[in-house]
Amino acid sequence: MSLLAVHEVTKRFGGLTAVDSVSFDVHEGEIKALIGPNGAGKSTLFNVLTAYERPDEGRVEFDGKSLVGMKPHRIVALGVARTFQNTQLFEAMTALENVLVGLHTRSRAGLLSAALYLPWTLIEEKRLREEAMRLLRLLGLEDHAETPAADLPHGLRRLLEIARALATGPRLMLLDEPAAGLNTTETQALANALFRVRDNGVTLVVVEHDMGLVMEVSDEIVVLNEGRKIAEGPPRLIQKDPAVIEAYLGEPVDD
Amino acid sequence: MRSSGYKRFVWWLVASVAVMCVPFLTDNGFMLKILAKDVGTNALVVLGLALLFGYGGQVSLGHAAFIGIGAYTSALVTMRFELPWLAGVAAAALVSAAGGALLALPSLRLRGHYLAMATLGFGEIMHIVFREATPLTGGFDGLRGIPSVAIGGFVFKSPESIYWLVWGIVLVALLLAYNVVALRPGRAMRALHGSELGSQACGVDTVRVKVQVFVVSAALAGIAGSLYAHVARFISPEIFTLHRSVILLSMAVLGGTSSLAGPIVAAVGLSILKYVDSFVPGMPDAASTFLQDWELDIYGLTIIVVMLFAPGGIGGAFRSLRQRFRKKAAPDPEGEGVSAA
Ligand SMILES: Nc1ncnc2c1ncn2[C@@H]1O[C@H](COP(=O)(O)OP(=O)(O)OP(=O)(O)O)[C@@H](O)[C@H]1O
Ligand SMILES: [Mg+2]
Repeated sequence: MSLLAVHEVTKRFGGLTAVDSVSFDVHEGEIKALIGPNGAGKSTLFNVLTAYERPDEGRVEFDGKSLVGMKPHRIVALGVARTFQNTQLFEAMTALENVLVGLHTRSRAGLLSAALYLPWTLIEEKRLREEAMRLLRLLGLEDHAETPAADLPHGLRRLLEIARALATGPRLMLLDEPAAGLNTTETQALANALFRVRDNGVTLVVVEHDMGLVMEVSDEIVVLNEGRKIAEGPPRLIQKDPAVIEAYLGEPVDD
Repeated sequence: MRSSGYKRFVWWLVASVAVMCVPFLTDNGFMLKILAKDVGTNALVVLGLALLFGYGGQVSLGHAAFIGIGAYTSALVTMRFELPWLAGVAAAALVSAAGGALLALPSLRLRGHYLAMATLGFGEIMHIVFREATPLTGGFDGLRGIPSVAIGGFVFKSPESIYWLVWGIVLVALLLAYNVVALRPGRAMRALHGSELGSQACGVDTVRVKVQVFVVSAALAGIAGSLYAHVARFISPEIFTLHRSVILLSMAVLGGTSSLAGPIVAAVGLSILKYVDSFVPGMPDAASTFLQDWELDIYGLTIIVVMLFAPGGIGGAFRSLRQRFRKKAAPDPEGEGVSAA
């Protein structure tokens, strides 16, 4: 059975059909890429999958459970994490604190127990800080633990958002253009990080314009154009697919 | 890092001892009473606003209404039902908290200026209620003869006892708030402030956090209202105005975001201004009348100057001082004996 099943999902904005009857499956342990020209509907589809937008038609099932109509934070608790095309970090908080917020669903201290500084809340806090540091190390951010997110260089901000998403303990992670604005060295570091994340047992769906990265990391590619799925398959076949080549022709592949 | 909770507690303890010693330094009962009734209760309200605004990023221009709700509730419970003050203050906290939950509703849909307008509207509506619900509130004339605070058989009548009571409550609330902001719930509030989308993506139930900060800050204002009512022993609608709400919020702004000590210092500093003549002995009449006449302008000017030169507010200034101090105190990284620290 597939981990994520997207079935004929349609999302309209007024007269515009941003996502048009798209279906695909994501299997446990794979890295799936979602590509397409600007405005193809990739981010909109991510928003539907994580319940930030409600689809007009279609079904989304994660591990057999329907995600449609849920609240975004509930979906995180089920094991689906995401990052954003425009990073949504907590700028005034340090890298460590950002990851600590990511551990929210995996901890319990509430207003009352925290106010009373109950002994178990301190034990929990110690455990959370250790786990957050482990995740920062996994993404090579350990030297920046105490740096406010706002002061991190662009490349590290993308990695921090991945670390924070990873902190929620996801089985599935959706990354929206993680390489946007990264140079080649940073992109290579990102590719390695994605493999490490996958090896930690997390299934990945990655929206990306950097074709080099897509070809390197993905097991399968879904191609969207003007809201419709026009191709799906392994990278070698997608590169040669006439419909894909046509969709990208005349479009600047690089933005 | 590992001892930050301990350090915080030591700082709190030192500050608490200093604050609680004030009655030993003066026998000016009038001043002590002002420090409790006006300055202390404002500090308690601003503590709640610091959580709401400085941590949760939500704005309220209606908090005077919660002080009023607390004050009238507590007065009615003790006068009509002849229940003890503890019942009055508990009822004040509960009813104000319920009002806070109500005021949280617009915050679920509105942000920034629009939320400010909605909370302002709430404050104005409550002000009209205080004025017009004469059978309950005494209307324009307010309520007189509210009983003094009493716990068990002990009646808080002397200025010293009143001071200790109010500031004891402020300091305990400060400690609890410190604990909250150091742990998971405080981080969720700051995350909400930083990015609502981002906090949802971390599994934070933003609706719940918003309701929580509104409820907590309203409850603190309610408790402050009860203290005020039973210390002043007289309340009227003109004490719980928009003007008061604006001043309270500006204290929280001046205090700085992500800080508790900053807003409390701001609350004390700005609240004292009005009574400056009783604090500075031998101050010329002209000077104190000047300060009182220009009170609002001085508030406004202070806020503009602080925001221009120290955008982090008082709390931000504390932080950078601490950092500078730490850098100086930190051992040379090449040096030996670091482990001894
Ligand atoms: N909230 C919205 N309201 C109206 N139209 C929207 C909204 N969000 C997206 N759209 C439109 O839907 C279409 C798909 O946008 P989307 O952001 O999903 O594309 P994308 O594939 O992520 O593009 P890019 O590669 O530029 O990020 C675009 O035409 C966009 O203008
Ligand atoms: Mg996009």
